[in-house]
Amino acid sequence: MNPYLLQKGVSKELDLFPHIIEFGLKKVQTIRLSSLPVETSQSFRLYYIWDGRYDWTIDDHSHILYPSDLALVLPGQSFGSPRSALDIGTFSWLSIDIGDAVFGPWSGLSPTDSRSIRKIFVLNTQPVAANLKEAGKLFQQLAQELHLQEIGFQTRVHQLTDALLILIARQLIQQSHSQRDFSGSFMKLEQELRKNLSHQWAVEEMAALVGLGTTAFTEKVKSYTGFSPLNYLINIRISEAIKLLKQTDHHLTDIALETGFYSSQHFSTTFKKLTGYTPSQFRKDNTDQP
Amino acid sequence: MNRQHDCILTIDLGTGAVRIFAFDLQGVFIGSMKGSYPTFHREPDQSEQDPEQIFITVLYVLKNLLNELIQPAGYQVTAICFSAAMHSVLPVDKKGNPIGNAITWSDNRGKKESNLLKNTPLGATIYDATGTPIHPMSPLVKITWMKNKDKDRFDKTARFLSIKSYIIQQLTGESIIDYSLASATGLFNIHTFEWEQAALDHAGISAQQLPQLVPIFYSSLRLRSEFQSSLGLSDRTKIIAGASDGCLATLGAGVWGEGKATITIEQSGAVRVVGKEVLIDEKQRLFNYVLTKDYYVSGGPTNNGGVIFEWFTREFGSFRKAFDLEDSMEGLIQEASKIPAGSDGLIFLPYLLGERAPIWNANARGCYFGLNMQHRQQHLIRATIEGILYEIYSIGKTLEEHRAIHTLSINGSFTAYPFWAQLIADIFNKPVHVKNNSDSIGLGAFLVAATEMGIYKSLEDATREIDVPGMYRPDRNNHEVYMRLFKIFERLSSKLAEDFEEIANWQSQ
Repeated sequence: MNPYLLQKGVSKELDLFPHIIEFGLKKVQTIRLSSLPVETSQSFRLYYIWDGRYDWTIDDHSHILYPSDLALVLPGQSFGSPRSALDIGTFSWLSIDIGDAVFGPWSGLSPTDSRSIRKIFVLNTQPVAANLKEAGKLFQQLAQELHLQEIGFQTRVHQLTDALLILIARQLIQQSHSQRDFSGSFMKLEQELRKNLSHQWAVEEMAALVGLGTTAFTEKVKSYTGFSPLNYLINIRISEAIKLLKQTDHHLTDIALETGFYSSQHFSTTFKKLTGYTPSQFRKDNTDQP
Repeated sequence: MNRQHDCILTIDLGTGAVRIFAFDLQGVFIGSMKGSYPTFHREPDQSEQDPEQIFITVLYVLKNLLNELIQPAGYQVTAICFSAAMHSVLPVDKKGNPIGNAITWSDNRGKKESNLLKNTPLGATIYDATGTPIHPMSPLVKITWMKNKDKDRFDKTARFLSIKSYIIQQLTGESIIDYSLASATGLFNIHTFEWEQAALDHAGISAQQLPQLVPIFYSSLRLRSEFQSSLGLSDRTKIIAGASDGCLATLGAGVWGEGKATITIEQSGAVRVVGKEVLIDEKQRLFNYVLTKDYYVSGGPTNNGGVIFEWFTREFGSFRKAFDLEDSMEGLIQEASKIPAGSDGLIFLPYLLGERAPIWNANARGCYFGLNMQHRQQHLIRATIEGILYEIYSIGKTLEEHRAIHTLSINGSFTAYPFWAQLIADIFNKPVHVKNNSDSIGLGAFLVAATEMGIYKSLEDATREIDVPGMYRPDRNNHEVYMRLFKIFERLSSKLAEDFEEIANWQSQ
């Protein structure tokens, strides 16, 4: 394996792939001091270790990486070596632009899959996928396609990038839930929903976070909670809204948007249907009481 | 009036879900629905629930049940009767609005407050007066903890409600607590049926800070007009206070009178008997809750019920389908049944969550004892189930020091496995009847409502209606094996006290 470095705007190999910011392989033969200080990453980056042992800081936590491990760094997270040094070994990295909501037109993923996978990355708290040899193979194939540029290479590069992202998303789900403990996984999902209540959650996204297909997920949630996923979400939205109505003098529109309703109209109708009160009646009744 | 189409709803506010049942006036089950809500554990020993989410879930499930089941079938709701999990505390302000989340029974943050009170003369006086063991589960201890550790919230609190009182307050505008639920607060005198002053003084609150005490048959409340119209219920619909889930499960299981006991095994578990007198245990191992002025429900709770078998299954079971715990548990039970009674001398102490009755030791921990090279995986599975049931038996044995028990009625999701039911029959050496727990709670609440409405003359009369289903008979040979091993189980449970403490300290570092 020979070292290489492809950079956007510099290497013409990347001309057809504007979403790839950097793609490289580094061999470190002697420890290089002050070559990897901890800095805030500007882009989405994947590191795959071929050889050696790396002690890196990712998102303010220290992680030790061994061969076949893959590390995931999100834009805005800290990344680097706490000693600023680059230890002996070999690793590949890929830095790409994963878009704001969905991946760019290069990706063959459906918008739903794309949103779900992005969400899994963004909400992930365990940035190291251990022992992911398949990722190494994909890195190698990607390098080959970019360097050899044989017929069909543009499609292959897109496919391999998609494959890599899917592989990592699946691995992260498996790591975070053992697929044994639905109540535990559901609690984690609950927390995410509450943290991002204003987000317009789609069932596919929720299912992806638990690591199930939409149908299986809906069925599981229904038997576990008695509600469909979206109705369960409405439960949380309304209960949070009740608290805000009682405790603050926020404007109704703000409360509606904060708790994830499209509009104050949507909020009022749902609220009235469920509680029998309009939000303003409810506020009046619950704040005027002796 | 056409009474044929009248029906009664029961609303059970359980630990993790609300279950609403509908019965016609003859007690024939019409249908049920449930909706669950989460429990938050954001710091060690904390267990809290969002009161607004519980309220919304209740409304939502109620509405669905009415729209999908009750109204299409032409039923008219004449009464709604409540049941609820015991020991919850919800501080509210002057306007009746919650200050933070509700604290549920399994919250253990008051460990220190509990230990400080437990072995004092005051602790003994309060236990005798209230019937509730001094333990972090008890609202007495929880409020004391809040006074010490969350003073700000304590000071702001106008009233300390239970979750059930809050839901009833939201629906009707009044906050009440029935004698039965009050009797599990550690603040209520089970002999005089008043709040116990010594307990109030210890907690630093006054009786005005608690909801109004009412009998379980109390039925003068009505739904707020907004809910009458949004739910399509009449202004004559009675809201009946009802009781605690434990007492109602006992009532609904038909365990009424001498010689009977009921065993419930859900995540946690309990063994209970009913009697006209308080059961006095000088070691403070048993609870005495009330249903009415004539009936005491006494017994002991365990932390380590089905939750332990679920733990075992998650960690060691094989999962053919993702997230299918049921399927995996059934597989393990099948494996366990291939091993002889007594697991060839392998004994399991199930105290992974510390234990309540009868050892009342929060530091107790789990332990497999007697492992040898002949033991296979199946032995560990069987020993795990046997250990959970030995613990249940040790509560039953404590109760038998006070009352004779001839037959058992068992309920709860884990007793639905025939293997578990047979094991209970064998260990206790008594015939066992099986009932479904949420059905028992629902039926118990129905019987309270129906008695209030004059359909039955008394609760005793009402329980005669309950048919007692299928029976498991004990196997004497297995019983003898279990008793020899149970002696060792019991000895280990007390002998290890010092080591439990040391290891618990080490683990909490």
